[in-house]
This record gives sequence, C-alpha cells and structure tokens, in this order.
Amino acid sequence: MKNAGHKNAGQLSRRQILSAAGFIGLATLTGCGSGDDGGDSKDLSKKQNGAMKEYRAGQQFKAAKPLSFSVLHNNNPVYPPKDSWLFWKELTQRTGITLKPVGVPLSDYEKKRSLLIGAGDAPFLIPKTYHPAEVAFVSSGAVLPVSDYVHLMPNFQDKVRKWKLEPELDSIRQSDGKYYLLPGLHEKVKSGYSLSFRTDVLDRLGLSLPTTWDEVYTVLKAIKAEYPDRYPFTDRWSTNTPYPAAALFSYLGQAFGVRAGWTYDNISWDDKAREFVFTGATDGFRQMLEYLRKLVDEKLMDPESFTQTDDDAVKKLLAEKAFVISANPQELVQNYRYNLEKQVKGARIEMIPVPLGPAGPVVLGGARLENGVMVSSKALKSDSFVAMMQFVDWLWYSDEGQRFAKWGVEGVTYTYADGRYKLKDGISLMGSAPDAPKDLQKDYGFFNGVFTYGGSWALVSSSFSPDEKKFQDVMAQRQELPIGPAHPLQSVEQEQATLWETPLRDHVTQNTLKFVLGKRPLSEWDAYVSELKAKNMDQLVGLHNKAYERYKKENG
Amino acid sequence: MVSILNTRPRTSVNQPTRGYRVFQGINGVILTGVVVVTLYPFVNIIARSFSGERQIRAGEVTLWPKGFNLTTYRIVFTDDTFWRGYGNTVLYTVVSTAVAMVLTTCYAYVLSKKHLKGRNVLVGIAVFTMFFSGGLIPHYVLITSLGLKNSVWAIALPNAISVFNLLVMKAFFESLPTELEEAAEIDGLSTYGILLRIVLPLSKAVVATMVLFYSVSFWNSWFQAFLYMDRADLMPVTVYLRNLIAGATGATDAGATTEQGSQVAANIQAVTIVLTSLPILCVYPFVQRYFVSGVMLGAVKG
Repeated sequence: MKNAGHKNAGQLSRRQILSAAGFIGLATLTGCGSGDDGGDSKDLSKKQNGAMKEYRAGQQFKAAKPLSFSVLHNNNPVYPPKDSWLFWKELTQRTGITLKPVGVPLSDYEKKRSLLIGAGDAPFLIPKTYHPAEVAFVSSGAVLPVSDYVHLMPNFQDKVRKWKLEPELDSIRQSDGKYYLLPGLHEKVKSGYSLSFRTDVLDRLGLSLPTTWDEVYTVLKAIKAEYPDRYPFTDRWSTNTPYPAAALFSYLGQAFGVRAGWTYDNISWDDKAREFVFTGATDGFRQMLEYLRKLVDEKLMDPESFTQTDDDAVKKLLAEKAFVISANPQELVQNYRYNLEKQVKGARIEMIPVPLGPAGPVVLGGARLENGVMVSSKALKSDSFVAMMQFVDWLWYSDEGQRFAKWGVEGVTYTYADGRYKLKDGISLMGSAPDAPKDLQKDYGFFNGVFTYGGSWALVSSSFSPDEKKFQDVMAQRQELPIGPAHPLQSVEQEQATLWETPLRDHVTQNTLKFVLGKRPLSEWDAYVSELKAKNMDQLVGLHNKAYERYKKENG
Repeated sequence: MVSILNTRPRTSVNQPTRGYRVFQGINGVILTGVVVVTLYPFVNIIARSFSGERQIRAGEVTLWPKGFNLTTYRIVFTDDTFWRGYGNTVLYTVVSTAVAMVLTTCYAYVLSKKHLKGRNVLVGIAVFTMFFSGGLIPHYVLITSLGLKNSVWAIALPNAISVFNLLVMKAFFESLPTELEEAAEIDGLSTYGILLRIVLPLSKAVVATMVLFYSVSFWNSWFQAFLYMDRADLMPVTVYLRNLIAGATGATDAGATTEQGSQVAANIQAVTIVLTSLPILCVYPFVQRYFVSGVMLGAVKG
C-alpha cells in the first residue's frame, strides 16, 4: 500500500512536468496570438489604396486598381457555390474587386465563424451575422466598430436617412455607443406569417374571410357547428422553437400590441409611459391569453397545437381534421395548397392579412434590420481598407448593387419593364419555371442569401409570388409600433440581466401554456405576476430603465 | 447398463438445465427486442428512400417502400457535389487509415517491450492526451500555421493515433510470447524484420480490428474536415449530408412546386444516408470475425 502510494507520487511528479510543459506551450501560443495593435486607426489617409476619391450615393463603385478581399461564405446546400458563377465574374468586371470566399457549410456556420474569429484567422468580411451574435466578439476587439466608418459608405447613410432607420440602429448599439454590425436595411417591415383558411369550406358555409380576431372567433365557431367532432383550427411551429405556436403568438401578440412567440422579449417599451415594462405582465399580454383560452376552451382550437410537430399539424390539415392553420407565403403555396390539391378534391386555401385586434392596424416595429456584415479588425490594417468599405457599400447598400445581387445582369438573366422583373426564358428561380434548364441561384449565383437581402420595397417585393404580394401590400399599409430607445447595458449589467432573463422567460412560457390550456385559471393572474416579481422582474426592468436614463444623459 | 451409465452423465452435461433454458429464452426475447430497436431505423430509412413523396408525407412508410420511386436516387446520382464528397471521403479514409495504422502499430509495438527504458513516460504522453487537449482554437492555430489547411493531412495527422486503439494494440503485442521473437532474433532477423515478418502476420486479428475502428471513425467524421477545409469541393460526404439535413427546409423551398422537387425534398435525407452508410455496411460482415477476437484478446491483458 505504502509502496503503491510512493509509486503514485512518482507518477504524479511526472504528470506535473508534463502539464507544466503543456502550460508553457499554451503560453507561447497565446503570446503568438495577441498581435500588436499599432498605428492610428482613425487616420485613413494611408489606407486609400484602390479607393475612389469621389464616391457618392448612387454612383458605380470601381476600384482604381484590381483588389481582392476575403469573405466568409455560407454554403447553402440548395445552391452549392461554384467558381463558374456569373456573379463572381460580373462583380469583378464591374467593381475591379475579386471576392475570395472561405466556404463554410450552412449547418455549422456560427461555429466556424467563432472559431475563425477566435483564432485570428477570419476573412475581412463576415456576412450572414444576425444581431446579437456580433456582441460576443466585441470585447476581444476582433470585429470593427463599423459605426466609426459609415462615413465611407454614402449609400448606407443615404438609406438610413431616407428610411429613418436611426432609432433601429440605436437598438444595436453597444454600451460604448457604437455598433459592430452593418445590418441589412429594409424600407418597410416585411411580415411573414398569418392565418390561412380553407376558403372552399367557408364558401360552402356562407362565411367570408375574417378581418379581425373577433371575426376569426365567429368563423371558427361556425365551422365547429358544422363539424362538431373536429377542431377547426390546428397550429404548428411548436417544435424546434423555444416557444410553442411561435408564429401564432407572434402575430396574435402584434394585434394586442405585445411581443410574444418568436418576437417575445422580456423587456418592451411602453410609449405612453415613456419607460420599459415587463412584456409577460402587461395587460395586452393578458388579453391575448384570454382570447386564446376562449378558443381552446370552446374546442375551436386543437390543444395539441402547442406540442405537435409541424408535420403532424399539416397532416391534420390535409386529412381535413382541421381547416385553419398558420402559414407563411411559401408554406401556403408549396406545402398546403400543393398537397391539398393533390389529396382533397376542390380544396382551396388562402392566407389572410393578419387579423386586427385591440391595437388596431399595426405591425411590430424594429423589424427593418436584417442580418448583416461584420468587418474583421484585421481589415483596418490593410492599405485598401477605404476601398473595401466603399465596395461593401456598393454591393450591399446601393440600389444598383442590390439589384445586381438579386436579379443578376439585365439582358442576360432578367429583363425589366414597367416596374417588373422578369427572368429570361430558360431560367428558373425556386421552381418558378420547372422545365427551365438553368437556375438563377444554382447556375448563376444570384439571389444568394449571403449577398441578397433588404432594400427598397420595390426591390424586396419584386420577387413576391402573387399570394405574397397581396398579403404584403395590405400589411405594408399598417403602422409600425414604436420601438424602444437605445439603452445599451454595461457588461456587468449585461451579465446580471442574463442571469435574470432565462428563468423569467421560462416562467412566462410555461404559464402562457398553462393559462391557454386551462391548467391554470386566468383568475390567478395576480399570483402569476407576483411569482415573476419573486424572479427579479422588477430588478430587470429597473436595470433597463436605468441604462436608458444613463444613455439619454450621456448621448443626448 | 454400462452404456446407460455412460450416456447419463453426458446428457446431464449436454442437455441444458431448465433454469438455463429459461435464461436462454428470456435472453433471446430481450436480444430480439434490441435487434428490432436497432434495425428499425435502418429499415425505415431504406424504405423511405424508395418511397413516393405522398406516402412519406402521409406517414404511411414503415418497413416496406410504398409508392416505389427512384427519382431522388437518380437526382443524387447525377449530383456532382455528392460524388465529389464521396470521392473525398474515400480518399480521406484511405490515407488517414493508412497513416494511422503505421503510426499506431509502431508506437504500440515499442510500448509492448518491457525492457524499454522510459516506457512509462511514453505511455504517459499518450494517455495525457486522453484527458487534456489544447482546445479548439489552439488546435486550429497549430494546424493552420503548419500549413496543413485544405489538405488531407489536416485530417490524417491530428487523428493518427487514437489512444484507446493504441492501448488495445499494445496489450495484444504484450500477449505474444517473447520466446518467438528471441528465436527470430537468433535466426538473424532485425527489429523491423521481426515486426513485419513475425509479429504482424500473427496479429491479423488486431490489425483488422484497428483498420475497422479507424476507417469507420474516419468515414463518419465530419468535424475535422469542416474545420480545416475552406472549399466546398474538399468537403467529405458527411459534411454534405449534414448540410443537407440542416438545409432541408431550404431544399423544400427550392422547387418544391414541381413534382420532382417535392419528391426530392421528401426523401433526399434518407437516400443520402443509405448511400453514405452502404460501404461501411458492406465491409463490416467480412471484418467482423476478426473483430470480436481482436478486441477480446486485447481486453484479457487489459
């Protein structure tokens, strides 16, 4: 025993030597990793290589000499990248810039992005970044505070001014008042989801498509009267999402003026009181729950809506066990309508504009920013930094650049007449012309999610299907709900807030379900609110209001 | 009488007792259950891969293809990306397994020699890596600065020695009688001669097992390639498959309004899974007979 102990001690010391060696190795590595940060970053006069002297909004960018920039490229399995894409060739021809893509499979894009940034090996341009993913890289200084350099980007500034996007940009500012992501900019909020109804059934029962949530209730009630053994409404988007029936809650909440479902955020802005409040405890939230409770209670809505998979929900629709379901324009056309036509004779299905509720004709605000581009700090050391920013501005933010990235080359891939874009014969986009030999995405490299998003309403709506166009045109008339002012938290506060956020969010989600399914009567609302208080609801709200006051004082 | 006496003990030995038969019965039932549970997903995937889109969506496909359909197979067979990935996988697997076998065998053989000084340190170095690693980013920095990125060596070299396999092999080599090697030495064989002509031919079981272990793990691995390959044409088929599954909704968007498109969307995952696991499934039964004895031999000595 003693001997054994002795032997162990001997081994331990060897192990210690080994681990010591390991540590030394590690230290050397980190020593190598931390690069010098020399040079004045604000002085851009030495970084003009290839830049245009006079570059204004609406002007074609063309580098003074051929340059190339590396870019992280999200490889979508639907259109795997090819070197032969017309996109690359034409881009070089027009701008003098060659993009060198670093390909990353879509399945693990975020993982590799973090790794590359962490290892200091990131490409200059890092697109396809969704706020707040960029926050993780701020403290290490690996990504540029791009807000310091937007003066190099006339098109970006022009669009922000024209579309009054300043408040939305404020929402992505960090505690130093800067933002680290060049987001995609939308002229108008694009709504995605709403209810869809079997119109042939409605016609047969002499009902018309509802426009308000009260009418939705009446219509469901009428369908129930005809089919007493079925639930008229079943729903989906309940699995693989942190929130059950995420789409429904999202647009139903909107009608009650609250953020719920996918758009849920613990903190929301009360424009009347000019302060932040806790979303899950507002009156609007309660009214929304009461409404849904009524639907479930009267067996108008399938209680399995909140737990079943999307496939199961759609199966119920196809088997005519339900007649109403949440939809987005793609699902409506490619899934519901396509499959219904095959399986149910004479079936027709329509998506309606989001029904109106107590909040009136509104859409949630703040949804006009898209995923965007981060710029690696290494790029700033390059002598062609200015040219790169001008290039980014042209490709992602100029009307011409956006049109090019989306539709390609006029006369080659598309024609334009009377405000409508039409693909050339023989080119298909997302199945628009099934027999066409070529595909705009797969064979030409346009309409690529890495480069194509946002833009003017004319451009965004140019690719809508007729159904989507009808839906979006109505939704575009609605008024945006005001969004909260900038109130960046400091890093200590951020950590504290994160600790409080999750339990609160979970409690709201759980009880939302309990209330709706009737496991908990809504008369216990006050008890529910005090449970939230016990989970630091007031402290969290206080933290945000404090940050708001502070930011207002410091930045005007 | 004698014959009866003679047969009796034999029957009592050969004929299983009642308890044993009950045990075997229960065992059989449980194991059959396990087989069903393990086989079902396989069979289901295969059935799906040959089924029609409507039947899949309606959830009718369980054990047998319904609405027999080969559209997706045809599409995948004509997809360059898939075959390029397949080719890459074969290349990476063959090269990596070869490298790994050479290095692991040499290392294990050295470690099996009791008279080697500092043997425990060498074992320690290997075992150390089982418990500690530099972490993802240092690894990445190392591979990158060695210039291995975008080459097969980024996959082959970092995983050349699996410590578990090394220890199994070491134990196996230790179990070979030393007298054999001494005799070979007296007959004038060099160290390498002994390894190549005496030890390895006697170690077919463990070598086959190791080849199987290594090649299956290289065939299935996707993470290394994902980390160190920057171009789509260098990715193995596993990354292609993973990407396909992640982007399955995307695949539905692309052309699901066409008859063919929606058929593809419905079972492309099943088809790709079948095609990627097929080679391993074919190799397995042939290597399996070595497999059991190889691992067991290592295990006795532990």
